[in-house]
Amino acid sequence: MQKKAGPLFYVFLAAFVFFVMFPFLWILLSSIKPLSELFGDKAFDWFTSHPTLKSYVSVFVNYPFLRYLWNSTVVATITTVYTVFVAAFAAYAIARLEFKGKAVILGLVLAVSMFPQIATISPIYMFVKKFGLTNSYLGLIVPYTTFALPLSIWLLVTFFRKIPFDLEEAAKMDGATPMQTYFKVILPLAVPGVFTTSILVFIAAWNEFLFSLTINTAEKFKTVPVGIAMFQGQYTIPWGEISAATVIVTIPLVVMVLLFQRRIVSGLTSGSVKE
Amino acid sequence: MKKEASMRNEKRAERILGYSLVAPALLLILAVAIWPVIQSFYYSLFDYRLNDPTKSSIHLNYSLDLEGYLQNYPFLKSTLKREVATASENTKETLSDVEQKLEKMDEAIRADKEVANKYEQVDEALNNFESPNEDIKIVELNEQAANQFTNTVKDVVKTLEQLREAGELKQPDKVVGLAQGLKGVIIEPNFVGLKHYKDSLSDARLWKALWNTTFFTIVSVAVELVLGLGIALLINKAFFGRGLVRATILIPWAIPTAVSALMWKFLYDGQNGIVAKYFEDIGLVHRMGDLLTTEMGAMFSVIFADVWKTTPYMALLLLAGLQTIPSSLYEAASIDGATKWQQFTKITLPLLKSSILVALLFRTLDAFRVFDLIYVLTGGGPANSTETISILAYKVMFSQTNFGGGSALAVIVFLCVAIISIIYIKLLGADLLSDSASAKK
Repeated sequence: MQKKAGPLFYVFLAAFVFFVMFPFLWILLSSIKPLSELFGDKAFDWFTSHPTLKSYVSVFVNYPFLRYLWNSTVVATITTVYTVFVAAFAAYAIARLEFKGKAVILGLVLAVSMFPQIATISPIYMFVKKFGLTNSYLGLIVPYTTFALPLSIWLLVTFFRKIPFDLEEAAKMDGATPMQTYFKVILPLAVPGVFTTSILVFIAAWNEFLFSLTINTAEKFKTVPVGIAMFQGQYTIPWGEISAATVIVTIPLVVMVLLFQRRIVSGLTSGSVKE
Repeated sequence: MKKEASMRNEKRAERILGYSLVAPALLLILAVAIWPVIQSFYYSLFDYRLNDPTKSSIHLNYSLDLEGYLQNYPFLKSTLKREVATASENTKETLSDVEQKLEKMDEAIRADKEVANKYEQVDEALNNFESPNEDIKIVELNEQAANQFTNTVKDVVKTLEQLREAGELKQPDKVVGLAQGLKGVIIEPNFVGLKHYKDSLSDARLWKALWNTTFFTIVSVAVELVLGLGIALLINKAFFGRGLVRATILIPWAIPTAVSALMWKFLYDGQNGIVAKYFEDIGLVHRMGDLLTTEMGAMFSVIFADVWKTTPYMALLLLAGLQTIPSSLYEAASIDGATKWQQFTKITLPLLKSSILVALLFRTLDAFRVFDLIYVLTGGGPANSTETISILAYKVMFSQTNFGGGSALAVIVFLCVAIISIIYIKLLGADLLSDSASAKK
């Protein structure tokens, strides 16, 4: 259905983009308002006449926000690297090798990725408590395997399947062992798929909330989503700081999405359609 | 022949390689995902509470808390000895009787060699003012011994209380207090069977939470599907700024749900929220404050925020499906005089069916287990009007520290998700796992 787009279409498009981006826009505008303009008469003014970076300073001075960012980065990075590494072998075997029970294993992986987190939280909480892993990075990395590993396997299987089988045949003819084929032929071709998978797993781990909320309760080990959500006190909510913190975490995300949008979309929709 | 054998060997080698490559991932999944679900079910059969020391772990059998016992018994013994020395004739007899009963009970405990061994160790640790090791603190008893212990202690406490009433004791409160301390050292098995399920299923709060979850899921997924399909149809063409639109679509999806929930909380705020104000201006709500403080308003707010965050993702999945429909089909149809609507219902929808079902499957399951959004935006309120089943399970587990009851709710969530998946997979057929069609968020 390739049609030319008319002017009306662009009007619609602009409206759509505006609606989707409006909350971010408003948060950005609020983050540079002085405290007094966040409440009362001026709360609904779009633009402030006294822009200030006070909220941004406060986020770093009055809250351990830098620490939250660091915690999230460490946990999400290690989770991504280790699950994608383990998943790459499993996915290769499922996608390229012949053995019984492949479909069952893949079905199991898919089923596990649909598990509600709440169904695993109590034993996992008791487990990390027993081994003294609460308030540690490992205490999150281990539970994050529950969603990161099935996600990695599932995505990598679809990427591995897209690599032409002829190459493997040729390698076999030349006398390469399956492992040689894997490292010399398949893996180099799978690099884009591995990269895409890593981005999606990283985002999933970065955004995780429930495990982080229950397992790492000490300020020192909170991750960004929990840290920001806990900015709100019992009676007051520091909207200025929350806005500034939201902007700070959204900007790298926007950059990442702009850089890797093609990859992310191909990961999200990988094989969701028959080709 | 030789060739055949080598082929067979090769196949065998491939199979072994396959299993060994899959093994680490499979073991990890078993250990961190499947085992916990089984354990959740196991927990749900017990009266398991973190804030109650006698219920803070799972006990299938009667057991004795040696630490508690040895913090009382030796002192009770020596205090009684002193009382006997100073008591009147009549009381002396009664007290000696009590002493004997207690000694017999103590011997009975130490009759078992292993228990006697731990007994010594715990005693030594306590004498050195150390806290004894976890694994020697608790010893198992058989039911008979446990009952005997309980009865003896009950008897002793009763006798000592009578003596206290009669004013026959020198240190009445100390003696009785120490004896009463022995009451709590027997740990009863906390197996309750399916009681938590029975209680939950007869609790109106669970049904309310299930209804809230179902309502939230159906309404938000339906709205997302319709809007997502509309957007996908509209942007399924070549236009200027495609990349920008795609990036716009991805940002709400990529931002942490907890952060977006907080953002909407600000926008919905009853006094300063801009969205609340616009909604009031266009007459969608009566007063700005109604959004987060009335039951209807809160549910609407939660659904609206979810639609904002996930419609773009739905549109993206459907757009990928649309792009695989060959344009020649539409050309042929329009030559045959089919209207746009006919083209949509006769070509687009049937060919998009599996894409729609896959997208619906993932979105339905995601919506059904919703937690972050509601936890941050409304906390389940007001008056539990947005409390979903995951939120309820979390509250029971971590606010009431009732792990048994909470686990039962978690298992109920799990079963619901399983049922939903089975229905979708029946509809989808084997497409999902076959080599050519598969999808994941």
